[in-house]
Formats: sequence, structure tokens, C-alpha cells
Amino acid sequence: MKLDTLVRFQNMDRRWIFLGMGIAILIPMLFPMTLPFKVDERVQSLYDAVEEIPAGSTVFISADFDPASRPELEPFFRANLHHLLRKDVKFVAATLWPSSPPLVMPIFEELTAEYGKEYGKDWCFLGFKDGKELAIKAIGENIPETFPQDIKGNKIGDLAVTRGYKQAKDFAMIINISAGFPGTREYVLQIQGQYDLSIASATTAVSGPDYIPFYKAGQLNGLSAGMPGSAQYELLVFPDGPPEGVRLLATQSVNVLNVGHAFIIILIVLGNIAFFVTRQAEEVE
Amino acid sequence: MTGIEIFGAWLSIFLTVCVLSFLYDDNPIYKLAEHLFLGVSIGYGVIEIYFGVFKPNLLDKLMNGELGGFQRSLSIIPLILIFMLFSKLVPKYSWLARIPIAFIVAAYAGVKLTGELNANLMTQVAQSIPDLGAVWAEYGFWSWKHDGAGVFSSLFLVLGLSACLLHFYFSAPQNKAMQQVSRFGVLTLMLSFGASFGYTVMGRISLAIGRAQEMLGLDRLPEQVAQIHPRIATVVSAAIVIAFLVVWRRRQGDDYTPGN
Repeated sequence: MKLDTLVRFQNMDRRWIFLGMGIAILIPMLFPMTLPFKVDERVQSLYDAVEEIPAGSTVFISADFDPASRPELEPFFRANLHHLLRKDVKFVAATLWPSSPPLVMPIFEELTAEYGKEYGKDWCFLGFKDGKELAIKAIGENIPETFPQDIKGNKIGDLAVTRGYKQAKDFAMIINISAGFPGTREYVLQIQGQYDLSIASATTAVSGPDYIPFYKAGQLNGLSAGMPGSAQYELLVFPDGPPEGVRLLATQSVNVLNVGHAFIIILIVLGNIAFFVTRQAEEVE
Repeated sequence: MTGIEIFGAWLSIFLTVCVLSFLYDDNPIYKLAEHLFLGVSIGYGVIEIYFGVFKPNLLDKLMNGELGGFQRSLSIIPLILIFMLFSKLVPKYSWLARIPIAFIVAAYAGVKLTGELNANLMTQVAQSIPDLGAVWAEYGFWSWKHDGAGVFSSLFLVLGLSACLLHFYFSAPQNKAMQQVSRFGVLTLMLSFGASFGYTVMGRISLAIGRAQEMLGLDRLPEQVAQIHPRIATVVSAAIVIAFLVVWRRRQGDDYTPGN
């Protein structure tokens, strides 16, 4: 490659990179391909932990994500609900993110209706609670006091599914779908150690590396990070492919992610070659 | 689907294209989407906080006749603290705001301290001293099946962690040995930053995939796609935004300087 070509490459208008990335994402979406992927140990642990919950038990779901993190976390959220509901596990859900209720409530309603579950008896949604870490601490100590009413205005004591579940430790497991602060980190710091809770977490790719030490230390019993984590969980929940009417969005997206990564890697390699060659040439001059 | 839902889906796609127009340059149609997003977010947040926090925790308690006089008067304290926060707006009395801020900082420090000490510091320090015998028995020197777990990784963790800590230990003289250790610490940090960068790139591409799925109608059921026609919405939105950008660019004439 000629030196002036490399110099031009280094000074290229960044909008060409945006365009290239757009094409790299669109092509595998329009012409899907299927590359195999393996299930990570952390996602397998999460799946196994949910698998071990006895039928009829109740878990606490903290759905702490927003529209911005939806592509990464909604596939996990849906697959996890399928997993719980088909195992006949009940759930009490809440959120610490104000933009979460309109996002998660329709999904709860859609999937519970699909499995014939009844609101109040098999599941309930307590809605949003502000207070961040203080709210998490309160969930650890006293849920009825923290959430006197559910999202529909029912008194929490009137719901069969919440009877006998006063504190976080009363639940078979805490499942936290976390897009950031407040989320998994705060659950671990505030209540996991104090009450020796079983917590599983699905988080965004950006937060993934921060939570791996929690998993390694046994503070989390499973961790799914980003879209690949969601895809792996989908694979475990639906090993024979999705049933009719179910879309495995993360599985569809993994190959798109691969092409996007390949594009970035090529740019990084070319950028480095251009940088070192031009620097060498400048030094010679 | 109702008409309003279909309109919402079209609006969502149009606003996505408006935001993506920033990749060309900062422009008024992007600003429109940005301001709309901020306004809606703040409005939504205010309503959520009012009905989720302010009303049940303060107003309802103040108005609740069933509560005793003492309990009701206790609720006046947070109300006074709220007003004190607003004293920041009057320079003469701004010092009053320090009192509620001190409460907030103290409460937060108290809550954070125990959690950080117990779950972050103690547990993580304990985990950074691996039991090599147990690791050897479970994984051997290196296990491909378990993403590289084994004695090698455990030793690398201990050495890398020690080197990182020594890199930031400025009291020791920087002799040759220290410089080598420090270099290894920097290398370990770079590996860690590289992994974080990789995950961040993955997260950002995932977001782009999410929007592209909506614009192409891949995240909806076929019957919904048949009603919304997301691909037509995308083409129409792109045409409007491109036409706007062309007109906007022409109006700027020779004064145009790329903003990003």
C-alpha cells in the first residue's frame, strides 16, 4: 500500500466509518446466516440455578432496564419469563428504574396470559420505587412497607402471591435484569452478603466485566452479559428452536454482532498499520 | 393494532432516523429529536417521582387524618428540608441548603460504607488469594472448557493485581526492578481496559442492532408488520430527513463547517 494512501486512510472522514458500520449491520440482517455459538459457563450457571427452583416457589424479579438497554436485555427478560412460567414458578416483580414499567408490564401480561397465569395469584408487579440503594436496602428488610401497593393500586396484603414473602430472603431467588445504576452491583453490595441471597443477574455488555468478579466470588449464581448472554440463555431455554409466535431476538442478532465486530477489528488493524508505517516514514524524513 | 399504536411506531422510526442524522452532522432535525427526547424524559420523570415518591411519602402522610398528630408532624421535617434545598436560589440564604445536603451525604455514606466494606472490599480481597491446590484439582494448569480457568490464570491474577497496586505505589524509589513490575502492572491494566472496551463496543453495536430491528420490522410479529409497514416508514423517514439535510446544507452555502 502506498504511503499517501495510508495517510489518507488515517485522515479519512469518520462518516465513512459510520456508513460502513451501518452496512455491516444491515447486510446480515437482510440476509441472515447461522453461525454456531457456545454457552458461557456463567450463563449455564444462571440457567441451572433457575432450573433448580422447585415448582410452586416464588422468585423476586427486579426489572431495572429502560428503552436504551432493551435490545440487550429484553431477549433475556422474555426467555427468563418463559423459563419461570413453564416451570410453574411464581414471581413478584418490581423496578428501580422509572422508565421500566411501561416497557415490562405489557411483556408480563403477554407471557403470563400465554401460560394461563392469574394476576395476584401467580404473579404481580409492584411497580417503580425511587430511592436507589436505599430502596434496595428496604427490599431486603421489608417489602410490604417498601411497596404498600402494586402497580394496579391493590394493597400488597390482598395479593395471594405476596403472602408470606416479607423480605428478599424469603424468595427462592432474586433475578435482577440490570442496565446500570441502581442494579446488580447495588443488590450485591446492599443485601446479598447481609442476607446470603441467591441472586442471578442479566446485564448490559458495558457492565458485564464489572460484575464478573461478583460471579467468581459466588456473590452471583449466574451472569448473562449483553446480547450474546441473552442469545445463550435463549438457546438453553429453547434448545429445539422457538415455539410458534416466539421471536428469539438475541439469537437472530448474534451473527450481526459478529459482522460488526469483524468490521471494527479490521479498522483497528488497518488503523494501527497506517499509524506505525506513517510514523516510521516521518522519522526517516 | 390501534391507529395510535401504528402512529407511535412510525413516529419512533422517524425519530430514530432524525437522531441518526447526527452521524452526518449536528443539524436542526437532530436537535428537534434531542429536545423532544429530553422534554419527554424529564416530564415523565417528574410525574413518576411525584406519584411514586412525593405523594405517598409526604403529601399523603400530611393529609392522612388517621395518623396521629405526632406522626403527621414528623412528616413536616422532610418538607422543611425540601424548602431548605431551594434556598440555593437565594444567595443570601443559600447556606441553609447545606443542612439537607449534609443529611443526604451522611445517609448515603452510611448506606454505602457497610456494603462496600463487606461485599466489595472483604469478599473481593479474599477472592484474590486463590487456593491453588483446589484450583489444580478442579481445573488443572489451564482449562479450555472453563474459559482458561486454572493455576496459570490464578497466578496471573495474583501477580497482575500485585503489579497494578505497585504501579500506583509512588513512595517506593523507581529503581529498575520497580520499573519492570510497574510495566507489568500497566500491561495488566491495558488488558483489563481492552476487555472493557471490547464489551463497550459490543454494547453499542447491540443498540444499533436494536434500532435496525425496529426499522426493518424484525422485532415484531408478522401480523403487526403487515399493519405497520416499518420498512416503508423507514424509507419515508429517511427521504424526509435527507431532503431536509440537503436544503439545510444548501442554505448554509460556503459558511458550512462540519460540526463533528
